[in-house]
Amino acid sequence: MKLVCLSWSHRDHACAAREALSSVPVERVLLELKARGFTEAAVLSTCNRFELYAAGSPDQAPRAAALIDALEELAGIPLGEKAEVRDDGAAVDHLFSVASGLDSLVVGEVEILGQVKSGYEKAKIAGMTDKRLNVLFQRALFVGKKVRTETALAAGSLSVPSVAVQLAETIFGRLEGKSVLIFGAGAMAELAAKHLAERGVSKLAVANRTWERAYQLAARYQGEAVKWEAFPAELERADVVISSTGAPNVVLTHSIVHAAVRRRGGRSLFLIDIAMPRDIEESVHKIDGVYLYRLEDLEAIVAKNMASRAQAVAAARRIVDAKTSEFVAWAKSLSTGRERSFKHSENPQ
Amino acid sequence: MVESILSWCAFLLYIAACAAAFFYLLTKNARASRFMLTLIGCGLAAHLPTFGIRLAAFWAYPENRWFLPVNNFFGALSYMSFALAAAFYTIEVRRRLGILGAFVLPMVALSLGLAVLLADPALAPLGPRLRSYWLNIHPMVLMTSYAAFTNAFGVALALLIQERQIKSRKPSELCYRLPSLDELDALNGSIIAVTLPILVVGLVMGSVWAYQASGRAWSWDPKETMSLITAAFYAEFLWLRYVCGKRGRIPVYVSMAGFACMLLTFFGAELCSGHHGFLGGK
Repeated sequence: MKLVCLSWSHRDHACAAREALSSVPVERVLLELKARGFTEAAVLSTCNRFELYAAGSPDQAPRAAALIDALEELAGIPLGEKAEVRDDGAAVDHLFSVASGLDSLVVGEVEILGQVKSGYEKAKIAGMTDKRLNVLFQRALFVGKKVRTETALAAGSLSVPSVAVQLAETIFGRLEGKSVLIFGAGAMAELAAKHLAERGVSKLAVANRTWERAYQLAARYQGEAVKWEAFPAELERADVVISSTGAPNVVLTHSIVHAAVRRRGGRSLFLIDIAMPRDIEESVHKIDGVYLYRLEDLEAIVAKNMASRAQAVAAARRIVDAKTSEFVAWAKSLSTGRERSFKHSENPQ
Repeated sequence: MVESILSWCAFLLYIAACAAAFFYLLTKNARASRFMLTLIGCGLAAHLPTFGIRLAAFWAYPENRWFLPVNNFFGALSYMSFALAAAFYTIEVRRRLGILGAFVLPMVALSLGLAVLLADPALAPLGPRLRSYWLNIHPMVLMTSYAAFTNAFGVALALLIQERQIKSRKPSELCYRLPSLDELDALNGSIIAVTLPILVVGLVMGSVWAYQASGRAWSWDPKETMSLITAAFYAEFLWLRYVCGKRGRIPVYVSMAGFACMLLTFFGAELCSGHHGFLGGK
């Protein structure tokens, strides 16, 4: 198979080339390549990488130098030195690694899969894909999904707010229709609120000692500001409570929480205390159906997730290697005229 | 002979489905989950004809005609295992909670395993007291409720594990794979809420039968007493969970106590029960 991959990635710390390339719209790159007689090409352009995949005719690979020429003209600066050039098997392996998140700055991140998909779709719209690039990119998306479902590479979140959201989901399932109560209007509380709002919680209430700040934060997320004095009543309605006040003493005592739980009809209550000094009395964790996580608990989970991602790299690598050789064998079989088939039953859920 | 071979096939398929379910739980390999479903499907397909064969053999005795062969352990356990697998398939898999297979399928395999390994499959003519249309209704209704309670028990096990994981503040990978706490709680509660009335109806039918047969509606034999305690535990669970609004482990433990009583009703009371023995109705 005659495939070439040029890439400028986050490994190149002087990022002038990447910056210049990312300012060129992908569609423009594809048009330029088409005008220069290239038949199959796809571009992956993200804030961390710019990559060009091009396939030539069965007996002739596209010339890397000609591709770089075209890109240099568009970017307006010399790019050749910084480019990583890969061909055939190495290019396939690279694309599969990229789609799996193995090549990302944050290993296992999920966004890259969508970016690979959109790069492929743009190439398809531009009429720059034929059988080989079509199959290559579809396989890359397949491998990316497979790695994420079958290894722990993407498992576990890597930030405190997203760990909090993930825990909320292990308690409540879907967060749609749940309500969130926020104590204090600090930056950390806002970050957590943002993550929860993205998951479709239906109601967001903010209680703060200064009404204005509660009001401002609530307004940013279509929430509702509540009077500080009214929070015990709010506690009955809330499913998730995030507390980050600057109060010197405990705000949510055992007796307040206990009284609220009795009126909640057995619904679970998830309390997150990210304040220092603590806002929520430790003993509330002992109440049935109440789950209190403190900042250090969330941080410990983040640390554990990082470690387990590192361990999953080897397993992910094995999948990528196996799928690369499968693809290379397929590409070879194209030129012999007896095309091998992929096992199509093997679709990840 | 054919019945025995098919029963063994179904038993081995259920064991293989258990293995696939555990593999899925540990690795989250989607193929293992699909394989598990295929194996249960094949197991059910091998299992179903055994009932037909058994029925034909049972009906070879003219006095048994039109009655179901549930008067011995083999028939009862085999039916339980089938109902349990079918209930799992319809309740959990429909709700995309196939991951609970690891908690329910071992009981499917165990139930059929007891039948093929230990129970005597021999058939005999029914005693005159059992020749009543109630024989086709009363035990079937109760065993169906047992199968549903066994499913609820599997869900309750998963619920306890999940609750412990979240309370520990150090959730493992398993915690993210299991369904959420609220889903498990709702499933456990709704299975029990639907099944308890079935159990009660089955018990009432039994007492109507007893009244017609002997003039006494309730004779406090061990099996009857145990079944009443079973119903009491499940009712207590529903009371705690939905009327008092209690969460956490205590209601789950109560529902599990109900399950333990159900097992005692099914197996234990056998040894000292009079007209409830699986021995052809002395």
